[in-house]
Amino acid sequence: MVQGLPSMVNDGLEAEGGCGVTGFACSIPVRGRHIFEPSKQMHNRGNGRGGGIAAMGFDPKMLGVSEEILREDYILQIAVLEDGVMDDLEARFIDPFFRVDFSERIPHVDDYRNIEGLDAQPPEVFRYFVRVRPEVLKAFMAENNLSGMAPRRAEDEFVYQNSFNINRTFYDATASQRAFVLSHGRNFFILKIVGYAEQVVQYYKLDNFKAHVWIAHQRYPTKGKVWHPGGAHPFIGLNEALVHNGDFANHHSVAEYLMQKHLYPQFLTDTEVSVLLFDLYSRTCGYPLEYVIEALAPTMERDFDELPADKQRLYRAIQAAHIHGSPDGPWFFIIARNDTRHDRLQLIGITDTSMLRPQVFALHDGQVQVGLVCSEKQAIDATLKSLSAEDPRVGDVADRYWNARGGSHTDGGSFIFNLDKSPDQPLERRLTCTDKFGNEITAPAGQSPYLPGRVYYLVEGDDKDRFDISEFFNLQRPDRLYAYIRDGIEMWDYADLMDCLKQIRGWARSGDAHFEVALSALTLLMDRRYPTCDKKRRSILQMVNHTVETILRHFPSLAREDVKSTYRLVDWETRQFFRAPAYQEKVLIIDASLFPPEGDHCDSRLLAEAFFRGWRRFIVFGLKGQRFHGCGLGPDSGGVQIDIYGSSGDYMGSGMDGLSIHVHGDAQDQLGQIMKSGKMVVHGDVGQTFMYGAKGGEVYVMGNAAGRPLINAVGRPRVVINGTCLDYLGESFMAGDPHDGGGFVVLNGMGFDDQGKVHPLPSPYPGSNLFSLASGGAIYVRDPHEMVEEQQLNGGEIVPMEEKDWTLILPYLKENERLFDISIEDDLLVVNGESRSPIGVYRKVRPRQKTAGLEKDGLEEWVDE
Amino acid sequence: MNSSNQQAFELPKTIKTRSRFRNPIGKYRLNRTDACIQCGKCVETCPYGVHVMRRGRVLVENAYRCVGVDCDEPCHDMCPVGALSLRRNPDFDVMGDFRWPPDLLASTWYMAEFSAMPPKGLAYKTGNSGGGFDRLRIKFPASTVTSTASDGSDDGINVGIDLNRRDDNAHRVRIEMPFYGGGMSYGSVSITTMLSRIRAAAALGTFCCTGEGGYPDELKPYDDHVITQVATGLFGVREETIQRVKIVEFKYAQGAKPGLGGHLLGEKVTPGVARMREAVVGYPLFSPFPFHSVYSVEDHKKHVDWIKAINPEALVSVKVSTPTDVDMVAVGSYYAGAHIIHLDGSYGGTGAAPEIAKKNIAMPIEYALPKVHRFLTEEGVRDQVTVIASGGVRTPHDVAKIIALGADGVCTGTADLVALECIRCHNCESGRGCARGIATTDPELMELMDLDWGTQRIVNMFLAWRAELIRILKRLGMKDIKELVGRTDCLVHLDYREEVQSD
Repeated sequence: MVQGLPSMVNDGLEAEGGCGVTGFACSIPVRGRHIFEPSKQMHNRGNGRGGGIAAMGFDPKMLGVSEEILREDYILQIAVLEDGVMDDLEARFIDPFFRVDFSERIPHVDDYRNIEGLDAQPPEVFRYFVRVRPEVLKAFMAENNLSGMAPRRAEDEFVYQNSFNINRTFYDATASQRAFVLSHGRNFFILKIVGYAEQVVQYYKLDNFKAHVWIAHQRYPTKGKVWHPGGAHPFIGLNEALVHNGDFANHHSVAEYLMQKHLYPQFLTDTEVSVLLFDLYSRTCGYPLEYVIEALAPTMERDFDELPADKQRLYRAIQAAHIHGSPDGPWFFIIARNDTRHDRLQLIGITDTSMLRPQVFALHDGQVQVGLVCSEKQAIDATLKSLSAEDPRVGDVADRYWNARGGSHTDGGSFIFNLDKSPDQPLERRLTCTDKFGNEITAPAGQSPYLPGRVYYLVEGDDKDRFDISEFFNLQRPDRLYAYIRDGIEMWDYADLMDCLKQIRGWARSGDAHFEVALSALTLLMDRRYPTCDKKRRSILQMVNHTVETILRHFPSLAREDVKSTYRLVDWETRQFFRAPAYQEKVLIIDASLFPPEGDHCDSRLLAEAFFRGWRRFIVFGLKGQRFHGCGLGPDSGGVQIDIYGSSGDYMGSGMDGLSIHVHGDAQDQLGQIMKSGKMVVHGDVGQTFMYGAKGGEVYVMGNAAGRPLINAVGRPRVVINGTCLDYLGESFMAGDPHDGGGFVVLNGMGFDDQGKVHPLPSPYPGSNLFSLASGGAIYVRDPHEMVEEQQLNGGEIVPMEEKDWTLILPYLKENERLFDISIEDDLLVVNGESRSPIGVYRKVRPRQKTAGLEKDGLEEWVDE
Repeated sequence: MNSSNQQAFELPKTIKTRSRFRNPIGKYRLNRTDACIQCGKCVETCPYGVHVMRRGRVLVENAYRCVGVDCDEPCHDMCPVGALSLRRNPDFDVMGDFRWPPDLLASTWYMAEFSAMPPKGLAYKTGNSGGGFDRLRIKFPASTVTSTASDGSDDGINVGIDLNRRDDNAHRVRIEMPFYGGGMSYGSVSITTMLSRIRAAAALGTFCCTGEGGYPDELKPYDDHVITQVATGLFGVREETIQRVKIVEFKYAQGAKPGLGGHLLGEKVTPGVARMREAVVGYPLFSPFPFHSVYSVEDHKKHVDWIKAINPEALVSVKVSTPTDVDMVAVGSYYAGAHIIHLDGSYGGTGAAPEIAKKNIAMPIEYALPKVHRFLTEEGVRDQVTVIASGGVRTPHDVAKIIALGADGVCTGTADLVALECIRCHNCESGRGCARGIATTDPELMELMDLDWGTQRIVNMFLAWRAELIRILKRLGMKDIKELVGRTDCLVHLDYREEVQSD
């Protein structure tokens, strides 16, 4: 079969840029239109030169086949790039080998030019439901000495090889391209085009087509004038579709490794190579998923040492066998897999050992369960919002959001959403989520979600005096209003809460002073963690978010001259009425929902422009991943305050010098890069490379930071991170002497349990690298059990806290307490139920003291002028 | 905001600027014996002003100007008493290296002093590296070989180039000559050196890059001629510095050490440097090899968008080295919104880059450039992006060669330092730094150089380059430097030489 193939690895690799990837798995089949929104959210991660989707787990009726055919048959899907090749292809590769149970040319819109922005003709696609003819299979098994093998495995191999031959005959990545196999596994198919992923959905009319699992990819290829859909993701093994964000450095050696196993890539991208590896390990080697993941993303460094002994033995063997095939460099895979042996559909996200690509996972539990994974959080939010609009059982906030720590002993850098058949409901599956090691991730137990429109109806006017909240407004006490609702949640049902929020909404509209009380209290409800008892936090957040958005949208736009208000609203429609603040106008509210994420017309540019015209207070809401808030205001931005609601985007506050930003929710990647001064408060987690190259500023993070926080930071940044970090905290930190105006990080290693109570995490810092190559500054770790060890340091040293250290960080912890309600006395300084002195609770990591003698080499002569 | 250079640009004046050392290093030495009768014949004969008559005494005052064996009327032959003898200066031959042989150093000094090509005696067009630009020659049409010296007039020949070729809101920036100063950071060179380069750039209607070590306040008056660098360490990069300038350069890699980060030795981190970079005195500073926020092309686009968010009118230049897939890198940068793609080849760099990196990583620039030029042309975007090349640009001839290989312009580096009388001793990184007070942060050594002197030396050199470029264009029968872009047919490689008329 491999005769005539080039013996050298073809290195004409298509330059694979990075990309945007997204995927979700749902316990019920959902429509293709729901992959539309998240794909659109990640437009800026592709360039419209390659988009693709995979759909898995169908309703047989939608495909026009019986349930049995859907379950047992391979769906061979072929893209035709040159008219008239199908007769030949069928005659040579389909008719002789397969029993075709059903075939069709899949429908699409008549003219691709009707789809806005699509400028290349997508391929015609033919779909065949096939089984290998028994006599053909028998001959194949005899010929290849496969007689002992289960017939199904042999059939899998036959289908796989046949597709390879089809591609070999009709597709040459560097020359003529007439047709290629899109997918050939069971119960899933792939479609790809030259365009954006959501245009696939439009063109092939998948808006209403239902599937359990959807994955999509926006490609950013950089090579070649002539793009072709064959180069777009997803790529296939047999029963899996893989999309990839990243670009690994050892493509050549991985390809050679595959060649040793007689696997020859045909599409010249590292993504194809990745899925071939996956298929090799899972189907050919028959490894369980955990082994497959270990072979792809080996556990390294200290994480390896932290594994139990039997795991170490096992992993060492896997690494010895497969390290040469392990992709090196930045990569993140999302895989949709039909585990046919267990009749289980899977959505898998795997990140590389060094965590060089952004990734977010989320779990939504309830009557409809959804597992989501993607490059940027706003894609998750967009998916949920889209699903929620169609099916109210889905909320627009997930129960949990988290990042994977690549190649780690804690989660293995991978999470798997499994969809298993439920015995009674043919079209429903049960969703579970585990990490690489099989540890299950679940939503908080014993809580029920809010189901709008089902149980709760309100009688207008009936709710006027149900809640005694007028005094909070009259006395201007948002804190007490917040406490009132917080405490009320236990007794109330959702209808009560809804009524209460409605009443607050009424108050908020009765004047600016009342509005401020309402907004502060509602914001506290979003920011703080508190017991939600039998209710889901996500449902409460959803209700509060909606209330806040409704209130904010109510304000008069800048266009209206007839009203006076301290608060003014600007949105995409009214942006041209943009002007300087008039007398008494203080706060500009920006409804960002329709603004593009970057460029000349994005809302952050508008905000900067507003700043130069004299506005100083901003509320931005309705965000869908728009970037660069707080950028471009320049060095004279002291006194400016920006409050951010919604899915904020990358690079927020990057370069900020004076202003203060409050993020009410999670923040994303590249936050506070080169930040010089000012204050940033994040009521949630922050993403990759947080405060890279920062020079100063005061930053408080309620949750975790992802990979590489504060890398190359200098000057005097002062940061409190209440959670932990994935890895590489404070690499090359150069922030002087903290006692002499330098910078530091306080790492508390605390989390919140499902009832909002603060508790210490299993380890304050599980990563293998802490403070590497640092030459200045310090990290104060809350580590009463002394879990941070020398092995994690490279150039740093652990020293006991001194009184002056505590005096230094105390004011920041007090502010932290005020912001997040994480108490110094009751939370931070309590160990195993006992109060301890700070000296015994915190430990200091500082650069190893430079050797004596450096002072003597003439430095002291140099006078600083 | 646009068209800052629309009004007629006036070239700065040439002012003869002698060496700052008492005895400039020359190729030859003239020895005068006691037999000299002070007749003054040598003073009359020598066209180069080597001999002077002072208070009745004849002195060899400017031995460094002597063209030695190339002289038509050698003074030692004319001397009636045979008191003069010529020999090669042994100091001369120990200077420099193969890429910057002593002849090139001396001819650059000549240009910096007189703002003209050296008349004779020095090989001023190529070095001795045995590769790269030294094996390339410009192929002139035989018929037009007329004058060899510049007659000084422009004849309406344009050597300026537009840097912004995208149809966007960014500044329309034009530079008056097809080169600008490449990044040398505060810390790696002295503030005087930095200012000299930037003031010269301002006078010449071009730009100069700050390098990665921050943006000293002293540069403020020249903001419109500064390119600020955003490099992987992000040292000294603030929103303010990005907003002050017209061009922002991303440094992804350096041609001299692709794939390696920067490293400033602890000794060079003086209080001044530490303050500028907000780091700790005496500790080494690391720039990581990648941008930790950029691991792929969509990250790069986001990065470019970020700069545009901070300074919407800034031009974005992307500086990369020359990996084998440099064409992909270039087109990716273009699609991400870059205005300038800056390819940094491996021939440049001071003494600091490790040899193994210089010699073994990435492609030679003369291979990378045509590849990129062709690829961008095939892609149909070549005219929307400016390609700048750098790394070992020593002479106007190198400039012409690089442009013929496919660049629009070049970036200079070491040549500027040579104009300031660098002798290529390769000791930039050691001890207190440069013995000539160029690449140092030591306050005493810095006093070796005066700012006005430094500025004028660089101005002179670049004016000489410009005149020579015009001469080259004239000989090629071209009216505009743009005509030369990508004209590899105007070049000949000595390894593949046929019988051609070359220069």
